[in-house]
Amino acid sequence: MNKIFSYILAILTIAAFVAFVVFRQSSDFSLASFEPYKNLISQGILNTIYVSIMSLLGSLVLGFVFYLLSISKLKYFNALTDVFTEIIYGTPLLVLVVVMAFVIGPAFGTFNRNVMGFTALIIYMTPYMKNVYKSAFSSISEEQYMAMDLFGFTPFQRYRYIIIPQVVRILMPPLMNNFSMIIKGSALLNVLSYNELYYAIRVTQSQTFAFVEGYILMWVLYLMITIPLSQATKYIEKKWSL
Amino acid sequence: MKIEIKNVSHTYDVEVLNNLNLNLTEYKSVAIIGVSGSGKSTLIRMMSGLEKPTAGEIFINGFDVRDEQYKKKIGFVFQNHNLFPHLTLKKNITLVLEKTRGFEKAEAEEIALRNLTLLHLEDQMNKLPKNVSGGQAQRASIARALSMDPDIIFLDEPTSSLDPILTHEVLKAIEELRVLGKEFILVTHVMSFARDFADYVIFMNEGQIIEQGPPAILDSPKTIELKEFMEKVR
Repeated sequence: MNKIFSYILAILTIAAFVAFVVFRQSSDFSLASFEPYKNLISQGILNTIYVSIMSLLGSLVLGFVFYLLSISKLKYFNALTDVFTEIIYGTPLLVLVVVMAFVIGPAFGTFNRNVMGFTALIIYMTPYMKNVYKSAFSSISEEQYMAMDLFGFTPFQRYRYIIIPQVVRILMPPLMNNFSMIIKGSALLNVLSYNELYYAIRVTQSQTFAFVEGYILMWVLYLMITIPLSQATKYIEKKWSL
Repeated sequence: MKIEIKNVSHTYDVEVLNNLNLNLTEYKSVAIIGVSGSGKSTLIRMMSGLEKPTAGEIFINGFDVRDEQYKKKIGFVFQNHNLFPHLTLKKNITLVLEKTRGFEKAEAEEIALRNLTLLHLEDQMNKLPKNVSGGQAQRASIARALSMDPDIIFLDEPTSSLDPILTHEVLKAIEELRVLGKEFILVTHVMSFARDFADYVIFMNEGQIIEQGPPAILDSPKTIELKEFMEKVR
């Protein structure tokens, strides 16, 4: 009860701060001018969610491939993932999106910018996903493998009953964090004129000239996507923790 | 039990076991003692078939320890309980019985319940390993080993990670198992336990067997190494 009260108080504090800032604005603060654009904005929200989920799935697969390469016995593959990881860690996502869409894509004969935008997001997330897998799989001790060996589990049974149920629990929280990163990162696809949330609001702003209100609305809408997600993460973390 | 170790050597980065030979026939409970790094854990893992020696052969009760059939005859209790952390104490037993020994669910439950009760865990069996004490988890791990109905139970320093009170609790539980008529091979650093429980003691130092014999050797060591060791652990 004390904890819930603390949270309510904390939220009220932030709300009071926001209200203060809003009331201090010289012009009239109103979101009414966004009303005619609600379809465009809704479409933007849906596209943001869509592109984020697709990128999550893509980076889950590619991240796993990279994890396998990073633990491969072939030193060349280890080196390849290391070099790639270093490059991605130092690359701003915006740069990667632009380079993908306007340089790398055309070099391979692809001029579909949206597809290259997705690809950039997926590639950007791959090293992070690789790390998620790495920490999850390394959590299963050598001795657990010995025990599985001793009891005579088949390879399928090892994964099905022992490894995957443990790995999934460890995988979930960092995975959700990465998902949150992807959602925010997807805003950069606006440079390709892809109609995600950021782009939709920018378009609306240019019509209504309500810049401040637009950014506030954008902020609130992103929070409406990410906060339930991080709450779900906390719930899963608590429920599934080992 | 018959133990036959022929010219066994093992090397990780350094040599851990150096040309070991051992031939025992009539003992029911063999304790291996020695300082950390003397090779005793490596030896017990080799004898259980969990690790393969770089050279030499080991036969226990007529089985080559590399034989897959041998694994069905033994139980192994690790230093840290090594229960599967995502399964309750009971499920740690029933899953193994159902999936690898072909028992029906009801039978498996019955076996698990019987062995958990034997180790005084009947009121803890639906908890996850993280929610019970170290001693309870270690006893559950013993119950799991017992549930496989092994001929031989290996115990690799089963109390090394426990405080004195929990150590006593686990050792007492192991003592009680004597009535089951199983054979034991164990590594321990608790000398009083080796003395009371084992009927044969092997003292190892730097990868070699230095002295062996009935537990009485602990009280009147012949070699300087065992003498020094006994003075240190006293």
